[in-house]
Amino acid sequence: MSCQIGHDFDKKMTVKLTEGAIEALTKGTNVHSPLLQVLNIRRIEMGSGHPRFRLMMSDGLHTMSSFMLAIQLNSLGEENCLLPHCVCLLKRSVTNILKDGRCVVIVLDMEVVKSAEEMGGKIGTPTPYVGVFSPGQTSTPENQLSAQSYPAASTASPHNQPSASSSTRGPGGRGDSGKKTPTATPTTPGGSATKVVPIASLNLYQTKWTIRARMDLRAMSLLRAPSVPGVKSKGRLFSFETWRRREYEREDWVLCSGVVDKSGEIRVTAFNKEVDKFFSLLETGKVYYISQGKIKIAKKQYMTLKNNYEMTLQRETSIVQCEDDQDLPMVQCDFIPIAQLEHKDKDAIIDVIGVCRSVDGVSRITTKTSREVYKRDIHLMDTSGKAVAVTLWGEEAEVFDGSGQPIVAVKRARLSDFGGRSISALFSSTVMVNPDIPETHRLRGWYDQEGHALDGQSLTELRPGGGGANTCWKTLSDVKTEQLGQGDKAEYFSCVATVLFSRKESCLYQACPTTDCKKKVIDQQNGLYHCEKCNKEFPNYKYCLILSAIIADFSDNQWVTCFQETAESILGHNSETLGQLKDTDEAAFDEVFQKVNFTTHIFRNRVKLEIYNDESRVKATVMEVKPVDHREYSRRLISNIRKMAA
Amino acid sequence: MSVFESPKARINSAMLSQYISRPICFVGRVEKVHPTGKSFSLSDGEGKSASVELNEPLDEELSGVVEVLGIVSNKGTIMASAYNMLREDKGIPFDLELYNEALKVIHDFPQHYPFEIATSG
Repeated sequence: MSCQIGHDFDKKMTVKLTEGAIEALTKGTNVHSPLLQVLNIRRIEMGSGHPRFRLMMSDGLHTMSSFMLAIQLNSLGEENCLLPHCVCLLKRSVTNILKDGRCVVIVLDMEVVKSAEEMGGKIGTPTPYVGVFSPGQTSTPENQLSAQSYPAASTASPHNQPSASSSTRGPGGRGDSGKKTPTATPTTPGGSATKVVPIASLNLYQTKWTIRARMDLRAMSLLRAPSVPGVKSKGRLFSFETWRRREYEREDWVLCSGVVDKSGEIRVTAFNKEVDKFFSLLETGKVYYISQGKIKIAKKQYMTLKNNYEMTLQRETSIVQCEDDQDLPMVQCDFIPIAQLEHKDKDAIIDVIGVCRSVDGVSRITTKTSREVYKRDIHLMDTSGKAVAVTLWGEEAEVFDGSGQPIVAVKRARLSDFGGRSISALFSSTVMVNPDIPETHRLRGWYDQEGHALDGQSLTELRPGGGGANTCWKTLSDVKTEQLGQGDKAEYFSCVATVLFSRKESCLYQACPTTDCKKKVIDQQNGLYHCEKCNKEFPNYKYCLILSAIIADFSDNQWVTCFQETAESILGHNSETLGQLKDTDEAAFDEVFQKVNFTTHIFRNRVKLEIYNDESRVKATVMEVKPVDHREYSRRLISNIRKMAA
Repeated sequence: MSVFESPKARINSAMLSQYISRPICFVGRVEKVHPTGKSFSLSDGEGKSASVELNEPLDEELSGVVEVLGIVSNKGTIMASAYNMLREDKGIPFDLELYNEALKVIHDFPQHYPFEIATSG
């Protein structure tokens, strides 16, 4: 037994914490990756938004309880990685001095090097660190430490100690960290006291920061101004050339962009006056020093760059161009032609850009977690001649305005196989309208010249309905020559075809009388019918239809299956009536099928390869039947003829 | 020279001069009817006019889109043998502009629309 105690004691002794680190962090002195022990961790629920985790840390000599996990590290807290007595390497942090002099150390990057179990207990006998605080300090309630509301900007006071990073990493730091005496707080770049911080360190508590970052894709847009009563405002989208033309007075001008440096990126937004002030200054791809922007928690539903915070330019914001831009990452735009999306794997993260030729209405759906979100599909087409649906979510879906068929760029969206191929804007995606890049102008020129006349087949089949610019028209011979449906997913197409023959034998079956249940019932031979799906017995049944038919056009013919709705549509009678006819008047029943022959319709079909007893065959199902719209059909034929002749 | 026994080219006003003395089919919208009822004017899908003359005066009111079978005179008017009024109160109205587009296709690609039957002798 004594051996065991000794063993534990040894273990704790071998781990040496970085004594003096707590004092250094509190004073803002530079200390490189100190080893600290977690003594306590507490979860603090905020009113809304993310919870915060507060830590008491020890360096073996002192303890301090004002460590806050940065939101991006919340998973460490949620997943119980930071249990009391574990030992951690503090890789990156930032020390903030609140206006009452108290200090908070925000943990930006930390790694557990020894688990709590391995340690078994507290190392040494540390005592709480008592720092030098400004007079008049009162004990602050929890809220102030972890407040999410933006504190008033700290004014330069002799007692304020400058923020410092505990790591020597970080891009472009021009100020020297490690000041031991209070100095004047840094203001604009160019001064000797400039301190550039990485974007990843921006948080709600710091106000005196400067970042040096490259401007990402940016776009101008007009948001509706719902707060102005009686003014029917329309969102309008302007390109850089036309932004000066203000036709509506009471509209909000919004400038959206992102800035990026080596540590990360953050969304930047400006409204009205700040748009006036900064728009002509800011150019995509150039590097700027930005300070005094207002940092807020990024709205969850809003598409943002990978950052929990976002920045709004305000009156005090200073933006100065920086000539030295070599070491910052370039703005990446890797747009994939829409036609090539078919060949990409589903769930790939991709960038696309295209002309927004149509926009669906906003719909509200309830997610699996019973949350209601807005969504909206927009349809983009590019020079590859193909189109695709992009799904926007939340506020972005609500305010999107596609009038004037703007150019829309979507970065880092997810490619989905919904409806074939479609794109979904994620939380981390960026949707830019009329971005100020050469690609936009190229697309605009192309669309005005020729693109607007193209049919532009869409890769997305969202609805079985045909018609409109999104329909995929084929001839029946195309099914074989293009091997439709022979891939691993079902394919959809529309065609104009004539019914040659339909099978009246076994087109009707006895089905469960429950509404919407079409399962075939088993005749119990005792006057009762059993439905396996509903697991009930009924004294009756209803008639349902499965109709096999051959349809043909000039090029080929095809066996298709029509279920209830489409079968009723073609036959011109509902299944109940047909059932009665079959039982009572055979001749009239036959005539229904005779009359169908040689009728021509628009068929919207689904084809898929299916395997029956080792044999694989393409099966076609009719999703929708519609009468031929001769004018639309004529226009399409004339258009195709002219295209072929060109 | 029976209009009803030979194929009739469908034309619009711009083509009238090329079909003098030939049987044609002309579709247009009624513009004006002469008080005598023995002639009327039609406008085609391009908005251009053509004049139609009848053997017998009209015994009904003419309106909407009309299809006329006849022969083009050397004055460029259509000597009508028969006419059909395309009723617009039933179903889809006739799209005259679209018809004109189809007409142009037929004339631009005669190799694909061989309507003329070679007459013997």
